[in-house]
Amino acid sequence: MNKNFILYAAILIFGLAAPFIFPAFKVQLSILCVLIVLATTWNIQGGEMGYNSFGNILFYGLGMYLCASVQVGMFFPLAEWTESGGEKTFVHTPPQFFQGMAVGLVVAAVVPTIVAGLIGYSILGLRGHYFAICTLGLGVAAGEISGGIEIIGAGQGFTTPPFPNVGSLEARGEFFYFLSFFTLVLTFIAVRSIYSTRFKLILNAIRDNEDKAEAMGIETMKYKIIGWMISAFFCGLAGGIMGGLVGYIDSTDVAFDGREMGVFMVLMAILGGKGTLWGPIIGATIFHIFKEGFWTFFLGWQYVALGVLIVVIVIYFPEGIMGWLREKYPERFGEVVDEKDRKAQVELK
Amino acid sequence: MRLNKIILSFVSALVILLSTSVASFAKVVGDKIILGAAISLTGKYSSNGVHTQNGYNMAVDRINSMGGVKVGGKTYKFDIIYYDDESNPKRAAQLAERLISQDGVEFMLGPYSSGLTKAIAPVTEKYGVPMVEANGASRSLFTKGYKYLFAVLAPANLYLDVAIETAVELNGGKPVRIAQAFEQDAFSQDVRLGILDAAERTGSKIIIDDKLPKELNDMAATLVKVKQMKPDVLVVSGHTKGALTAIRQIAEMKVDVPMLAMTHCDAAKLSKQHGKNSQYALCASQWHKSLTYKDDFFKDGMTYAADFEKEFGYDPPYQSAESSAALLVFKDAFERANSFDQKKVRDALAATNMQTFYGNIKFAPGGQNVDKPMVLFQVMCDASGSCENKVVAPLKWASAKLIHPIPKWSER
Repeated sequence: MNKNFILYAAILIFGLAAPFIFPAFKVQLSILCVLIVLATTWNIQGGEMGYNSFGNILFYGLGMYLCASVQVGMFFPLAEWTESGGEKTFVHTPPQFFQGMAVGLVVAAVVPTIVAGLIGYSILGLRGHYFAICTLGLGVAAGEISGGIEIIGAGQGFTTPPFPNVGSLEARGEFFYFLSFFTLVLTFIAVRSIYSTRFKLILNAIRDNEDKAEAMGIETMKYKIIGWMISAFFCGLAGGIMGGLVGYIDSTDVAFDGREMGVFMVLMAILGGKGTLWGPIIGATIFHIFKEGFWTFFLGWQYVALGVLIVVIVIYFPEGIMGWLREKYPERFGEVVDEKDRKAQVELK
Repeated sequence: MRLNKIILSFVSALVILLSTSVASFAKVVGDKIILGAAISLTGKYSSNGVHTQNGYNMAVDRINSMGGVKVGGKTYKFDIIYYDDESNPKRAAQLAERLISQDGVEFMLGPYSSGLTKAIAPVTEKYGVPMVEANGASRSLFTKGYKYLFAVLAPANLYLDVAIETAVELNGGKPVRIAQAFEQDAFSQDVRLGILDAAERTGSKIIIDDKLPKELNDMAATLVKVKQMKPDVLVVSGHTKGALTAIRQIAEMKVDVPMLAMTHCDAAKLSKQHGKNSQYALCASQWHKSLTYKDDFFKDGMTYAADFEKEFGYDPPYQSAESSAALLVFKDAFERANSFDQKKVRDALAATNMQTFYGNIKFAPGGQNVDKPMVLFQVMCDASGSCENKVVAPLKWASAKLIHPIPKWSER
């Protein structure tokens, strides 16, 4: 317990000091926080519950559009802001910007949660591949639909309100970093506390054998929906922040970016080790560093390098980094290994 | 609880990695002026991204070999740091941030496409980094009050409205029936706005108004409607892929329409790729090699095209020409500002008034180039089947007469 406390304190201090130690990397660090949130929440479905969802991007994109729309709509006519070739330019004063952002983020978190409940009710009855394909469709459909809605800019995209001038150039980076770091901490605390309750055991039971779980009297549907709603809450929040950070929302390339973000969140969780608390966090961090490195040093080849990375992950780390460590050093994970039994098994092989 | 140790060592490794990877460039090192650019080297805009990059590189080499940039009595050479934005606005915004705050770039060149320029402009604006862009034509870029954004091209809504006016003129001044299909992206949607304006102006009716998905591979549904409703003009815009798809399917389905107006014909190398099938397509272009503008570096359009072909092995599309022009604008501004102060360079850029091989360049307060009209060319093929783009409007530069209406497929 004590050691744990030291670890968390160290990470927290590092997180709080990071933008000042690496002032040039604020944007990358903010994105890292968002990636961790996405990977960690995906892990609730993909890792703990055994439902491979490609649809979490739906909540992320929804949060992004909602946050920006509220932020603009609270003070100015939204239709005029997004009107293509809009001749009018509105400027948010600092209080307007921050109030709008605050309300926007609340909406960005709450609405996707409700949407997740509604969609979940209708599709969480599907299992396995059927669920995966269905959720894949959700993200694609959302991208195409939002690309046709004029009030949020349609194909023109949606420029989010520019950060107000509050003196320092660094303020924007710092604001978004702390916002995303705070969201990350919130997500971590929430997920960690969930994982220490019976709820996690139920999710695991669904993963291991859903029929048996039902036979044991667990209302699996209810828990599946709640699990998805929790993910949606944080995905929406992450989306809202990301929209402000990027500054420009495009329906298929930024918001409902299933091809990138939607796949990355799965990849990161698998890389780190799904079904573990730390796995997605480690996976997202390594993935982000790899990706940024590829972009800098293998210009034009980054996706080839990324493809190789994915192949390596699947072949050598099918259980992810945490799973690999766990197999290699089981005693460090608090598992007791019977040396005789292990040897016997090795000989059998 | 050894797990904690692993995580702790992991975190500290991360700290070390981050702190050693800080690269430091600066805007002007020794005798080099370093410009930053995020270019679409991969993704859906990759072909146009490469056209843009080739245009930039061509101009950098030319300016450097012809004496470079003279500022404060010293001679400097251009150098460009490129990153790949993957045709993704999120990535582009991130890279702009990176170029400025990590690489220390103080002057930027634009990316390819309006969408990506829209994503980058807020970043350059925030840091007060002057950006000369050559490939973001969306009108909304110029109404947001950006002070550091300068575009050497004419805004997107002007691309094809000439075509509508020409169609009305050829129809004896009577309104025409327009069918249009546009990709759902910032640029094409702006071209659409231009058509809507032109239709309203001329009293023309829009009978088909389709939106097409990005990465356009199929527009058969629209073409079926066109076959049924027989409009006077069909307008299609969807970057390179859109142009290729449209021509391929129009030929496959033998769609007869009196006028076909498009964008990106030259970037898609339509006349090479589809040969006679692309014949009679009317294309909006920012530039054509036969225009008679001149400058000291590339001489004129014909010379530019020949030099470009020698270096890169293909006829330059206007995307390359306008990108080269962006460097000429920067050079001119640096020399007039006689300083590397961003504010001064910005003011010098705003006062630009020059002629390049690509056209006259003079910026409106919004940042768009107001001194250069669009041209329309038509793909024309001779009996042997070799096709060429010939300017048909405006009349001042026309090297051929517009063929209208397009002969039916059965008569070709």
